[in-house]
Amino acid sequence: MKANRLCTLVVFISTAFLSGCWSNQELPDLALVSAIGIDKTEDGQYMNTVQVINPGNVAGESRQGTGGTESPPVSTYMEKGNNMVQIQRQVSKKVSRRLYYAHTNLLVIGEKLVREEGLKNIFDALERDNEFRTNATVVIAQESTASELVKTLTPIDQVPAEKIVNTLKVTERMWGENLNVAIRDVLPDLVSSGKEPVISCFSMYGDAATGETLESIQETKPKARMMASGLGVFKDGKLVDIVQGDMSKGVIWALDEIKSTLVSVDWKEKQEAVVYEVIRQKTDVGAEVNKDGKGKITIDISVEGDIGETAVPISLKNPSILYDVEDKVEKKIKDNIQSSVKKAQDLQTDIFGFGDAIHQSNPKVWKEWEKEWDDVYFPELEINVTVDAFIRRTGLRNEPFLSSID
Amino acid sequence: MSFRLRKFFRPNQKAAEKSGHTTEPLNSSLQKNLDALNNRTGYSSDIIIRKLEIEDNKKTKVAIIFVEGIVDSRSINDFLVHSLVSDGDLQDKQADQSVLDTIADKVVSVGIVNRIHDWKKLYESLMSGHTIILVDGMEQGLATSTKGGEKRSIEEPPTEISIRGPREGFTENIRTNTALVRRRIKNPDVRVKSMTIGQVTNTNVEIMYIEGIANKKIIQEVCDRLERIDIDSILESGYIEELIEDEPVSPFPTIHFTERPDVVSGNILEGRVAIFVNGTPFVLHAPSLFVQFFQSVDDYYSRAYIGSSLRFLRIMVFLISLYAPATYVAATTFHQEMIPTQLLIVLSAQREAVPFPAVVEAFIMEITFEILREAGIRMPKAVGQTVSIVGALVIGQAAVQAGIVSPAMVIIVAITAIASFTTPSYSMAIAARLIRFFLMVLAASFGFYGLILSFIVIIVHLCSLRSFGIPYMSPLAPFIPADFGDSIIRLPWWRDKKRPKLIGTNNTVRVGGNQEPGPPDSRDMKKKTRKGD
Amino acid sequence: MEKAKINASQLFVLIFLFELGSALLVSLGLSAKQDAWIAILLGMVAGMVLFFVYLSLYNYYPDILPTEYMQKIVGRFFGKFLACLYIVYFMYIAARVLRDFGELLVTFAYNETPLFIINAVLFLAIVYTVRKGIEVMARTGEILFVVLYFLAIVGFILVVVSGLIEINNLKPVLEEGMGTVLKTVITETWYVPFGEIIVFTMIFPYVNKPRKIKVACLSALALSGINITITTAISISVLGVDLVSRSQFPLLNTIQAIQVAEFLERLDVFFMVGLIMAGFFKISIYFYAAVTGLSNVFNTKETSKLVYPLGFVVLFSSMTIASSYSEHIREGLQFVPLYMHLPFQVIIPSLLLLIAFIKNRKKKKGVHQK
Repeated sequence: MKANRLCTLVVFISTAFLSGCWSNQELPDLALVSAIGIDKTEDGQYMNTVQVINPGNVAGESRQGTGGTESPPVSTYMEKGNNMVQIQRQVSKKVSRRLYYAHTNLLVIGEKLVREEGLKNIFDALERDNEFRTNATVVIAQESTASELVKTLTPIDQVPAEKIVNTLKVTERMWGENLNVAIRDVLPDLVSSGKEPVISCFSMYGDAATGETLESIQETKPKARMMASGLGVFKDGKLVDIVQGDMSKGVIWALDEIKSTLVSVDWKEKQEAVVYEVIRQKTDVGAEVNKDGKGKITIDISVEGDIGETAVPISLKNPSILYDVEDKVEKKIKDNIQSSVKKAQDLQTDIFGFGDAIHQSNPKVWKEWEKEWDDVYFPELEINVTVDAFIRRTGLRNEPFLSSID
Repeated sequence: MSFRLRKFFRPNQKAAEKSGHTTEPLNSSLQKNLDALNNRTGYSSDIIIRKLEIEDNKKTKVAIIFVEGIVDSRSINDFLVHSLVSDGDLQDKQADQSVLDTIADKVVSVGIVNRIHDWKKLYESLMSGHTIILVDGMEQGLATSTKGGEKRSIEEPPTEISIRGPREGFTENIRTNTALVRRRIKNPDVRVKSMTIGQVTNTNVEIMYIEGIANKKIIQEVCDRLERIDIDSILESGYIEELIEDEPVSPFPTIHFTERPDVVSGNILEGRVAIFVNGTPFVLHAPSLFVQFFQSVDDYYSRAYIGSSLRFLRIMVFLISLYAPATYVAATTFHQEMIPTQLLIVLSAQREAVPFPAVVEAFIMEITFEILREAGIRMPKAVGQTVSIVGALVIGQAAVQAGIVSPAMVIIVAITAIASFTTPSYSMAIAARLIRFFLMVLAASFGFYGLILSFIVIIVHLCSLRSFGIPYMSPLAPFIPADFGDSIIRLPWWRDKKRPKLIGTNNTVRVGGNQEPGPPDSRDMKKKTRKGD
Repeated sequence: MEKAKINASQLFVLIFLFELGSALLVSLGLSAKQDAWIAILLGMVAGMVLFFVYLSLYNYYPDILPTEYMQKIVGRFFGKFLACLYIVYFMYIAARVLRDFGELLVTFAYNETPLFIINAVLFLAIVYTVRKGIEVMARTGEILFVVLYFLAIVGFILVVVSGLIEINNLKPVLEEGMGTVLKTVITETWYVPFGEIIVFTMIFPYVNKPRKIKVACLSALALSGINITITTAISISVLGVDLVSRSQFPLLNTIQAIQVAEFLERLDVFFMVGLIMAGFFKISIYFYAAVTGLSNVFNTKETSKLVYPLGFVVLFSSMTIASSYSEHIREGLQFVPLYMHLPFQVIIPSLLLLIAFIKNRKKKKGVHQK
């Protein structure tokens, strides 16, 4: 008995100590990668830019001590190669620490790459890797390279990757022209034949070269800034178009992703005079196949919101005026969606997931349609949009002061 | 007591037993008896022999023998010496009795008087504070109870403080201790059985239980285990605990101890057996369950919600005190992906300058803390403050500023330290302290995998323990719904009606039906009767 | 047989943890695509049918282990041979589950640690537990059951709150028709995890109230079946059927997707806790059955002495049964159900029951005639 116990103990302790340092890695040995940018070079190779956080400059005592950022909060490294894993390993020649991807929350892809080659080739490594999280946001660098976006420093959020992700999150909630799309969301769309992905674009303006320096963010108006721009529309994994403004808003309406936005409607010649703030909405997409074998999609939207601003003297006490406004809002949203769908049908890419809706309602028909969905059946779809808008409240005033002036 | 001293004592005593000295009967000659006594005790200066002559017809010689310091000298003066010397009319009283009988029956006015015939009994009585009266010409003597001497008064127990509840604590005197319990349970069913353990120290050990509530098998088991003890000395109840516990190699204590009479009362009322040991304020009780080590008296005295939530908190905090440093090590060396990004940036900024791996850092800090704690206990009170100041400065400030440890580690160690003080039972808290180091090694070699496995193994181990035959983890595992009411939670008294099932097997009802209080029905103040009770 | 008694609720807990082990580890019934959950539910019902076979066998011989009543049913020599086959079967499955488990940990968190070490550490814990006997295992189960269920409920709430569930992913229901689902049931979900309850025939004789076995087992099967169904349905509805079938460990991906209130994310450790606990029980019970069976067949006095050698056998076979994880999974999907589960869970017990039935009828008749 005693010998047994001793044996167990020895085995246990020795395994504990022997294993010592297989998978463990101390924090100072890691370089936290906050963002990856992927571009395509002229000679057809991939060019990765990794943004590595300098923790000491973000949170360390030195930052408080010297009162300012003397060295940048992030550093970037670039590397060329033919496949992702090779590049990841090759960067080690330039970095003194092991690159650690578990906290990467941004993937930037250059417009050139997605237009020419598409997403499919680069996603496998990212998905397979157990470190990289598919929760990371993916954006497309519109009219610039991913590397420029990744390299630019930002003033308020110290880590530029966070600036991009947070901007997307905020604008998604407030304005509704962009979506915060994670890699996890894109993957099923890439695979599914009944839906194509959309990915938000980011563009930068100003001087990209100075954006990399600390001087840039020491001004109230940095030399180089980044902003969320349009919505990239994909077909077969390749970027085919970037829609902007109302067009992209329409897409997001149809995707049931609007959290809150504005709808400005005209009032008696005065353009965009009454502003309607959407508080919540619900979009239902129904699919059916007509007897003549054509697909029909009905989009039902019900919207709730407030009046945010009126530039014309109308009495908001009067329900019938409110009904008028509601009608105008409904019409505007409807037009918005219809033009977006039209655009997508012209591009022959089903970014709305109407195919999936058909698949779920008519699985048998779908089997026949699946192969030629985007090219043949989707553009022929009959789209029916009904919008039901409600004005619930009108803010702190019931009538604009303009009416007293008149 | 040192090891060498014990070795020295044991053969000596055995030799004495061999010569048959101890069980030899007393001699009829007083002088011979006194010589023998002096030889045996080596003329110890604290053994007082007072020779008297009493006023009977023969002027009989009498000797009073006692050990100074453990007797009450006033009662010896007043009731023995004074009575013997000044009682002029002893002759009249004597009648046809022997002198000894006369003294025993008519002269000595002390509570207990026993006859002694042999030396063994004489020494036992003498050493436990009796006064021996030997009479010339008699082959027997008297042992009169004059126990006394200096003893500590009843004070608030320093290791078990309660917010609400009695402030009495046990003392070193076994009789005071049993009395403190008796005062609480005024019932003839409270039984006290006495035995002497320790061949050299002859320590008085008593067990106390309530007849009719305690399980007979457990009483028998406790008696058997106590009787089996063969040791030279019992200086504290810890000796007994180590000699009678079920699982000696486990780090977890299977016998609970306390220095509060209300805790002992509560426990014997649940059917447990208390073991009192003379010379220590710590009373053992068995069988003890795992959950019991997290119960404090306040749980029972405050209202049930508060009691329950505090008890639950203590168990959670116990887990923190076990796992906090290990989790920190595992998270920062294996599972950085599980730490929120912002926190990770802060942590790695702190760790940037620290020259040690996280596990070494944790070990340094934990050991430093253990040193401080140990020093804090051993330190004379006057310099205690120095330790706390030096400790706070060394750990809290200097080490961090010098970049030897990271501030996060200091926070972790501090939380662990504070957490380990919330466990009411010191022996359980110590078990956690020991296991914590082992867990840190596991965390450093296998990360969370090691920690989760260790958690399972600890649970398996706890489930395999028994305390006097009762599963240690009951009523959690095996799950006993009826007993669950007083485990990691405490139901109000009107809801928790039964005594623990496995411990007090007979007579389990302790609260009558329909005890749930409520507002009166109407102004004439009649309590609502509730259905279902 | 060791002298131990467990009660019905402990049996319930053990079965529950045992069944859950595989569901947390790997994806079940995915040949039926988004209808996997139906396949699991049907598998549960089929498993209950099998359970009745085992129960009636047990009712003929309530006090002895299967390894012993096999000898009574088909004769001493053949019975011993059969019992040995079963012991090998239990050990093989224990090794398989151990391998699954180790592979998972290596792929998901411990890339650089050798598989052997991961397995060995787990197996040390299992050996320790099995040495302590069935009573301690059952009690441990009771505590870990609470922990596991608590985690499951918290996880469920978090998945729901973070709005990940897309019920549409479960549609269209029965796209491929009932045939595919039934085929999945017969080839996959019937055996794993529900038919695996055969290992509990080695534990039935320890239950103190034999009449309660039926209720305990059926309710444990039902509860675990429903839980596995919900888990699978959630995984599919969160990730989509395509990702689930491509993923090695769908539940892990589901949990990784949780993001609530900016800080409740990266909850992989949740998954790990559940996984290790459930996996631990699954292997322990198989291993315990093998050890008790062996000591019963060869009449060894001290069961616990067999634990170490058998432990090494299982540990080493877990390393050698396959050279890569893909090979291991392929064996698990093609070879094991047909050549292991089907005969050991269905054919042999049914035959045994048939023989036992005939034998006992004869006996009864004999008694009547006398």
